[in-house]
Amino acid sequence: MAEISFNLPDLGEGLIDAKVLEWLVSVGDYVERGAPIVEVETTKSALELPSPRAGTVARLHAEEDEDIKVGDPLITFEVPDDSAGIVGTVPQQDAEPKRRVRVQLPDDED
Amino acid sequence: MTATESLRTGAGLDGELLRDLYQRMLLTRQLDLEFVTMQRQGVLLGYAPLRGQEAAQVGSGAVVDRARDFVFPTYREVGVAVAMDVDVVGYMATHLGVWNGGAYDPIASRFGAVNAVVAGSVLHAVGWAKGEKLTGSDGVALAYFGDGASSQGDVHEAMNFAGVDRLPVVFFCQNNGWAISVPTARQVAGGSVSARAAGYGFPGVRVDGNDVEAVYLATQEAFARARAGEGPTVIEAMTYRSGPHSTSDDPGRYRELVEENSWIERDPITRLALRLREEHAADEAYFEGALAEARAATESIRTGITETVGRPAEEMFDLVFANRPTTLDQQRDLWRAAAEGEERGDD
Amino acid sequence: MTDAPTTAAPSTTLSMQAAINLALEHALAQDDRTLVFGEDVGKLGGVFRVTDGLQERFGADRVFDTPLAESAIMGMAVGLALHGFRPIPEIQFDGFSYPAMNQIITQLARMHYRTRGAAPMPVTLRLPSFGGIRSPEMHSESLEAIFAHVPGLKVASPSTPTDAYQLLRQSIADPDPVIFMEPKARYWNKAPFDAAMALADTPPIGSSRVVRPGKHVTLVAWGAMVSRCIRAAEFAAEDGVELEVLDLRWLKPIDAAGLAASVGRTRRAVVVHEAPLTAGLGAEVGTLITEQCFGTLRAPVQRVTGYDVPYPPGDLEDHYLPSTDRILSAVQRVLEYRRG
Repeated sequence: MAEISFNLPDLGEGLIDAKVLEWLVSVGDYVERGAPIVEVETTKSALELPSPRAGTVARLHAEEDEDIKVGDPLITFEVPDDSAGIVGTVPQQDAEPKRRVRVQLPDDED
Repeated sequence: MTATESLRTGAGLDGELLRDLYQRMLLTRQLDLEFVTMQRQGVLLGYAPLRGQEAAQVGSGAVVDRARDFVFPTYREVGVAVAMDVDVVGYMATHLGVWNGGAYDPIASRFGAVNAVVAGSVLHAVGWAKGEKLTGSDGVALAYFGDGASSQGDVHEAMNFAGVDRLPVVFFCQNNGWAISVPTARQVAGGSVSARAAGYGFPGVRVDGNDVEAVYLATQEAFARARAGEGPTVIEAMTYRSGPHSTSDDPGRYRELVEENSWIERDPITRLALRLREEHAADEAYFEGALAEARAATESIRTGITETVGRPAEEMFDLVFANRPTTLDQQRDLWRAAAEGEERGDD
Repeated sequence: MTDAPTTAAPSTTLSMQAAINLALEHALAQDDRTLVFGEDVGKLGGVFRVTDGLQERFGADRVFDTPLAESAIMGMAVGLALHGFRPIPEIQFDGFSYPAMNQIITQLARMHYRTRGAAPMPVTLRLPSFGGIRSPEMHSESLEAIFAHVPGLKVASPSTPTDAYQLLRQSIADPDPVIFMEPKARYWNKAPFDAAMALADTPPIGSSRVVRPGKHVTLVAWGAMVSRCIRAAEFAAEDGVELEVLDLRWLKPIDAAGLAASVGRTRRAVVVHEAPLTAGLGAEVGTLITEQCFGTLRAPVQRVTGYDVPYPPGDLEDHYLPSTDRILSAVQRVLEYRRG
């Protein structure tokens, strides 16, 4: 078995977080793709998120009433190895940028 | 015609055509529901639902002759695309964030690029229609816009120009009751977009936009007039945006559930199903088969979308001009140097 | 130019969206000639909820929805100003201002001049601006250079909640038209906030602000690029290079003295903006620096900008926007530059 995590997507034009109102599934539940898994509230509205895939719920990453950031893990599924695969990723807004350019002062800098 | 006049309703299309329209409306509905789901699953960046407008879109789009006509859509026209056999996976490239405007061929498909600008393409339809007149051709331009867009100055300019030149253009207004949070009563003075046609000297008709036969017949009639050189028509299809304006919207903040529910009984698909059952001998087996077919097509389109590979970032530069200046080549080189450094992960 | 406020830390934090809402609320309460209007600003509270609750509090005469017509919104603002009101129109997204350009440029910007001063235009156009949120086409435009080029307009863009409050109150109070460009990508980020303190600390129109001091290179930015420059400065600090970050705040009038003061110390400058390169505001900033600091500059001013391409689809956004790496590469170029 493999584990696949689903991150909280941006639910509306630049939102950076959402509050978990109510989990509609529990650890150990088997859910079909498209079945509602959680109700969340953003600054714009409250809505149910449909499961991005079929699988058994392995972990819920937030408590009810807890805020979760866009791009952070929301739920983890346990799925057969051969059906692993990513459904939808959202880049994190102003997430920790990966740095590769270094800078250096010139030798004669006063 | 005035705003108070009764809606035109339709009857008399043959059973085979109605079944084809039904199948396409059903597919449109299934796709629409799936696209909202896919946005909530983080696959699509955003989406503008059309639930409730399937008859208006499919009934009008089905009239188009793809050998000679041209359609100018906005950003809420999946149903028209389905009616015209446009590549829906390519259409959805715009909502996937892969390419603004979609990744299908708008010239070959006779279905213009998805246009994010409200009323942005209505004047293009007039220009295209002028071209048909200048070349002595008999194609018709079909311009889609909404009740909100009807407030834009461009729509007045388009209708006036088309009227002056008696151009072969059909102005198809989907009056879905709401422009985001603003109801038609606060949007359209006088209450009717079609009534404006009288001022421009051509016919305006208001149809029941949830009656696919009425929409089809009104569009067919307008196309016939345009082809015969008799000029433009405004069709105002009265319908209802059953969903939010977009997946970022929350209608609960500005309209009542009672109003939304009142449209359930006027649902265009339920109504057509009833007519097929009562007048065209459609049985349960037919409906089950139709739903299964729509679901299978939806699943295949979903797969196509999830498997869509992003466009190479070079296209950001390569597609700006037909004859690209070297200054832009230089910027592309700078971008590439930066991107390649990233792949090497040099430190 | 003024330094960042150094007064005691306020106890509350607020998002920029909420700070702008508060500025509007205070302006509406203070002066009954102010009006807030635009598409969906009433019952819905704006698509970014920036006008949330204002119609409820001040009524539908002072906070109202307009038909979907941006040219009408700005033309109406001119008429209302002629009548003595202080309009605060909203155009829902940057790219939707294109249909209103005729009214903004040919009417709003020159009415005071045309009337020999008889008709001031105290209009503040609130314009959610710039990119960074993977939005559809026409929802991520950076139009500051276009507006700054029009005689008669002032242009401001905040980078923090406090700045947004100060700049908006100041814009509304000003007798001239101001294009107020709100960085959508920063709407929801929270920061310490105190309205009274913010108001008391407001520097004059045209003031920039050093938001991070440093001695080796000045980074000039505005809007959402300010926080990115601060991040780049944190990275550079790991290498012992101290970058000064100057938030321009006012994009017209530009704080030429503030630029000279900062670059006079650091002797090197990099301008960062989201808008395309050619004829972008970076060219103006670079020239102002060169004019004032030519004798002491150690390297030509560098620009890190968007490319000369339409704002790309969400998928390619990160390729387009200035990254911390691109900023640091430009920093390295000015550091290693040698004359001759």
